[in-house]
Amino acid sequence: MVIQKEKKSCGQVVEEWKEFVWNPRTHQFMGRTGTSWAFILLFYLVFYGFLTAMFTLTMWVMLQTVSDHTPKYQDRLATPGLMIRPKTENLDVIVNVSDTESWDQHVQKLNKFLEPYNDSIQAQKNDVCRPGRYYEQPDNGVLNYPKRACQFNRTQLGDCSGIGDPTHYGYSTGQPCVFIKMNRVINFYAGANQSMNVTCVGKRDEDAENLGSFVMFPANGNIDLMYFPYYGKKFHVNYTQPLVAVKFLNVTPNVEVNVECRINAANIATDDERDKFAGRVAFKLRINKT
Amino acid sequence: MYSCLDLSGHVVLFELGQLYPGITMEFGKTRGRVTPQELNPSSGPKPKRVPKMVGRRKKEKVKRKKNKANIEELKKEVVMDDHKLTLEELSRRYSVDLTKGLRPEKAQEILDRDGPNTLTPPPTTPEWVKFCKQLFGGFSILLWTGAILCFVAYGIQTYFNEEPTKDNLYLGIVLAVVVFITGCFSYYQEAKSSKIMESFKSMVPQQALVIRGGEKMQINVQNVVVGDLVEVKGGDRIPADIRLISAQGCKVDNSSLTGESEPQSRFPHFTHENLLETRNICFFSTNCVEGTARGIVIATGDSTVMGRIASLTSGLAVGQTPIATEIKHFIHIITMVAVFLGVSFFGLSLMLGYSWLKAVIFLIGIIVANVPEGLLVTVTVCLTLTAKRMAKKNCLVKNLEAVETLGSTSIICSDKTGTLTQNRMTVAHLWFDKTTYEADTSEEQTVNTFAKDSDTWFILARIAGLCNRADFKPDQETLPIAKRATTGDASESALLKFIEQSYSSVKEMREKSPKVAEIPFNSTNKYQISIHLREDSSQTHVLLMKGAPERILAFCSSYLLNGQEYSMDEEMKEAFQNAYLELGGLGERVLGFCFLNLPNTFSKGFKFNTDEVNFPMENFCFVGLISMIDPPRPAVPEAVCKCRSAGIKVIMVTGDHPITAKAIAKGVGIISEGTETAEDTTAQLKVHVRQIDSRDVKAIVVHGSDLKDMSSAQLDEILRNYTEIVFARTSPQQKLIIVEGCQRQGNVVAATGDGVNDSPALKKADIGIAMGITGSDVSKQAADMILLDDNFASIVTGVEEGRLIFDNLKKSIAYTLTSNIPEITPFLLFIILGIPLPLGTITILCIDLGTDMVPAISLAYESAESDIMKRAPRDPKNDKLVNYRLIGMAYGQIGMIQALAGFFTYFVILAENGFKPADLLGIRHDWENSYVNDLEDSYGQQWTFEQRKILEFTCQTGFFVSIVIVQWADLIICKTRRNSVFQQGMKNKILIFGILEETFLAAFLCYTPGMDMALRMYPLKIFWWLCAIPYSILIFIYDEVRKFAIRNHPGGWLERETYY
Repeated sequence: MVIQKEKKSCGQVVEEWKEFVWNPRTHQFMGRTGTSWAFILLFYLVFYGFLTAMFTLTMWVMLQTVSDHTPKYQDRLATPGLMIRPKTENLDVIVNVSDTESWDQHVQKLNKFLEPYNDSIQAQKNDVCRPGRYYEQPDNGVLNYPKRACQFNRTQLGDCSGIGDPTHYGYSTGQPCVFIKMNRVINFYAGANQSMNVTCVGKRDEDAENLGSFVMFPANGNIDLMYFPYYGKKFHVNYTQPLVAVKFLNVTPNVEVNVECRINAANIATDDERDKFAGRVAFKLRINKT
Repeated sequence: MYSCLDLSGHVVLFELGQLYPGITMEFGKTRGRVTPQELNPSSGPKPKRVPKMVGRRKKEKVKRKKNKANIEELKKEVVMDDHKLTLEELSRRYSVDLTKGLRPEKAQEILDRDGPNTLTPPPTTPEWVKFCKQLFGGFSILLWTGAILCFVAYGIQTYFNEEPTKDNLYLGIVLAVVVFITGCFSYYQEAKSSKIMESFKSMVPQQALVIRGGEKMQINVQNVVVGDLVEVKGGDRIPADIRLISAQGCKVDNSSLTGESEPQSRFPHFTHENLLETRNICFFSTNCVEGTARGIVIATGDSTVMGRIASLTSGLAVGQTPIATEIKHFIHIITMVAVFLGVSFFGLSLMLGYSWLKAVIFLIGIIVANVPEGLLVTVTVCLTLTAKRMAKKNCLVKNLEAVETLGSTSIICSDKTGTLTQNRMTVAHLWFDKTTYEADTSEEQTVNTFAKDSDTWFILARIAGLCNRADFKPDQETLPIAKRATTGDASESALLKFIEQSYSSVKEMREKSPKVAEIPFNSTNKYQISIHLREDSSQTHVLLMKGAPERILAFCSSYLLNGQEYSMDEEMKEAFQNAYLELGGLGERVLGFCFLNLPNTFSKGFKFNTDEVNFPMENFCFVGLISMIDPPRPAVPEAVCKCRSAGIKVIMVTGDHPITAKAIAKGVGIISEGTETAEDTTAQLKVHVRQIDSRDVKAIVVHGSDLKDMSSAQLDEILRNYTEIVFARTSPQQKLIIVEGCQRQGNVVAATGDGVNDSPALKKADIGIAMGITGSDVSKQAADMILLDDNFASIVTGVEEGRLIFDNLKKSIAYTLTSNIPEITPFLLFIILGIPLPLGTITILCIDLGTDMVPAISLAYESAESDIMKRAPRDPKNDKLVNYRLIGMAYGQIGMIQALAGFFTYFVILAENGFKPADLLGIRHDWENSYVNDLEDSYGQQWTFEQRKILEFTCQTGFFVSIVIVQWADLIICKTRRNSVFQQGMKNKILIFGILEETFLAAFLCYTPGMDMALRMYPLKIFWWLCAIPYSILIFIYDEVRKFAIRNHPGGWLERETYY
């Protein structure tokens, strides 16, 4: 009955560790002498140097094959998503009418968001296009010919344009504007040559009741075909995304209202089970009034 | 040791009170202790067991503490005095009538007091404890820790409402399930082998013939009590330890106790101080071979000599198996790596501005990611496969870990009888016509090459056949002669078979010359005479005699040479002496043969009186000598030679005579040709033993009685300094001392044994090997492995398998660990670069528990790279299963290449979908935010959360597939550690199957409809499968170059740093 291992005392363990870290007899640091460390480090330096080179090479080769114009695959973007502005943390637009600070940040965001839509900027940079048809700009033999964008003027947003608006997009009066936009997808012909519009409803029956009435700008929530297709940010520099503004006029105060807006377009499915933002957007609206 | 001096002046050893009741069985008058019996005067004079009872109570308390003392005691010889008593004293001590036996009521009383006469089975571990051991032992701990950490992380996440991902919960559950299933699997495996164990047990209840109240009765052995008068006859199993009071030609086979297979005669006289040596005691569970005897039971059940050894076996502490040590070491390394990585990235993530909570989750995640989920299964399956393969080669392994232990073995302590030898006396040499002839001793015994035409041979054969009491058992005509069972003792059977084989039918011979009278062999005469009618002239008789050669020669006045009778001369006597010495020196048992044609006065019908000899007993004619030996098994010398080249020392431990032991040792190569013991050298040089430099002598035969007086330091010295060691005349207990001595030298010791007495040594040895055919149940219980054919050569094949599996486990582990790096680095880069997670938990599990599994196991089928039996046994201190070189290779080199392959695929998929690598840095925050549904890619397109998640999972699938592809190369390079794959070949079909299997599995996981819902794996474009191929090729080329350098610069830097 030989006891195989004697229990080491704490001091011994510390001593052993010390010796492992620096052994003065053999001049070993962490079990290796200086030369040994030098060799192994050199080995790994060369090894990893080579690996980095190889990786860089393969990456470079791969990036050469990737076009600047369009991504190779777009099959994941068959259905563009919808999104709202102002963008909040959890997509809930909460407005305390009496508390200026609660909506001021939304207003600031919107101001910033809508700045490029100012008529002056649009007129300066973008073309006036013919509504109701796609604004196609083929390369016509010139590779990656820069594309022009169509004007979307802020004034088209009517009461929600915020131009000279003392109500701050309606936030100060409890009639907030929410802007809806559709995700950009390169070479996507939204609507399949038919007109399309955005509609909003309360998600459930009680939501519909609480939602009250609203107005949309442009009228009917229309999105014009002339804003499509999109040619990518590199060549379609001043592209202006079309917007639909929804002004909620008499939302029942102090209640959370689930709103769902969706786009009605021939080639955009809005019933994806997994993706709740495919062709639609859901958000919460709450107007707190005292 | 608790000892106290009682009133009668005897030292009573309480410790041994229970275990060695004999010691306390002093024939005492009054005892110094007041006991219930003493208080009750009517209970009569039976206080001799009192100390035992006191001792038992005491013992319970001190049992734990004194365990060590017990075992030390076990190694000493037994002290008992029943054998010294006269019959009257015996009768008085046990208050039993020596003719009528105990009164039945009394017997019942004693039975109630002492309990049944059975060996307490070794305390079997309850099944649930065994199960828990499988569940929580060794490697499982690592996985359990991982699982618990996962649950902790999940707990933290839910408590603080952090990202509602359930990955940690799932991972924890999967880990727990994996350990649980593997635990069940190994439990099932072990249960299966213990089932086989149970089948060994004979279920037939043994009967004993006792005389109680003057009546003979058959009772179950378990009801035999101390003091019973029992009768045993040939063929019986001795029911308890018995002191004989009368015997007629009784012989017992004590092999299960002493290892000596030669039957010993038993008679009532006290012959030896030592209980084990004296001839008037028969021991429990030994066998009575022939004759009858009566005796008084002096000990039953656990108190018997056998019982004490058996019960003490369970008290022996057993060291860890080498593989358990290895796994512990491996866990240390893995834990160190995991904690190092975890802590450094914990710090890093804090520096990067993650919250404490996130950092802790990362820390746990990284630690858990280091757990190789599949390795436990792989190791278990590999060991099981080898155990199966070993079982096919007649090594039944009782517990899986023993599989590898056999491979690490550096010393084998082997029995002689039955393991190294055939356990069958066989005629080895004949000497007649002044010439020595060799007989064939192989198991087949086909060729016989000696002068069969000599007339002397005819006469010798007739004497051997006729003056012989052995006979074949009936109905065996179909069997080869060598395999037939016989009645009679070993030497006579050997002669019988030999004559039957090389001369003619003994039966016919006996019919033609019927036996008229005989004087059987006895130990005082040392000869045997039989008188037969002559075959040629049926009216006269011939007297045939065989016996100890020197006795035979003394009767002879003439000798036979080529059939002619010559008168005895000095020259013949000298020739005889030389022959006798020569054969005796070979360790063979020599018998002399002579005859006398009786004159006509003793014609047919003469009444020969064998008690008062009325026929001539002198002037016999000497014919020749026949010598016998229990020959080595045919495969053993080769096996021993293999052991030697494999650096394994074979030590023979036997109860046999040193000369026989040495002869067999030389025969099988344990003492190699040309090596001499000190005694040999002295005999040659005619100098004293002390004058020989002990350093020149490599072989030694140690006598048991010398061993008894040796200190452990002296024993150590012997074990260190001699390469070829034989222990002869050892008592069973000494085997344990020898095993311990070997272990003190840091050796991994395998010990074989069959007797109950061997079981302590079997238990103590790193791997105890019991004999499947001759082994006792107790020894099988104590052993780790059972040799189904009792053949030493099977051990060597076992060793080979054990070594192979160690090598292959290394490869398997190297293979499995490699994929750990491509599994961890994604998470690390996810943290520090803020890129979308390149490889998720589910995909990691798909690799570890899916695609990697079969290939890793297939490495267990890999054949050896070189002759593994030509290298020294593994040095358990320095040659580890997993060392830093293996980790360096797996993690630092191959793993890194694999990780790059994965990342390359990942970046390709992202880039081709619109996210170029540069834009991914730091994207994590928005990417993971499910409310950001307009995330912009490099082209200005906007992605919803779900869309980019699908893309992310596609990337993860791509990463997964890349790992599978680089694991192809890894598997091929892991086939060998030194050789090129081109040298090794691709003969391992299982491995090829493994490659195909993992590929198909990957494709299945990738393309099966519904997998996007079930495992979130998405179909890949074909091109994405190919991204990893350059890296796969790189792995292959790199490792071939590395191995080429290792082969060409043995001992070079690369070998020292990367050869695992």
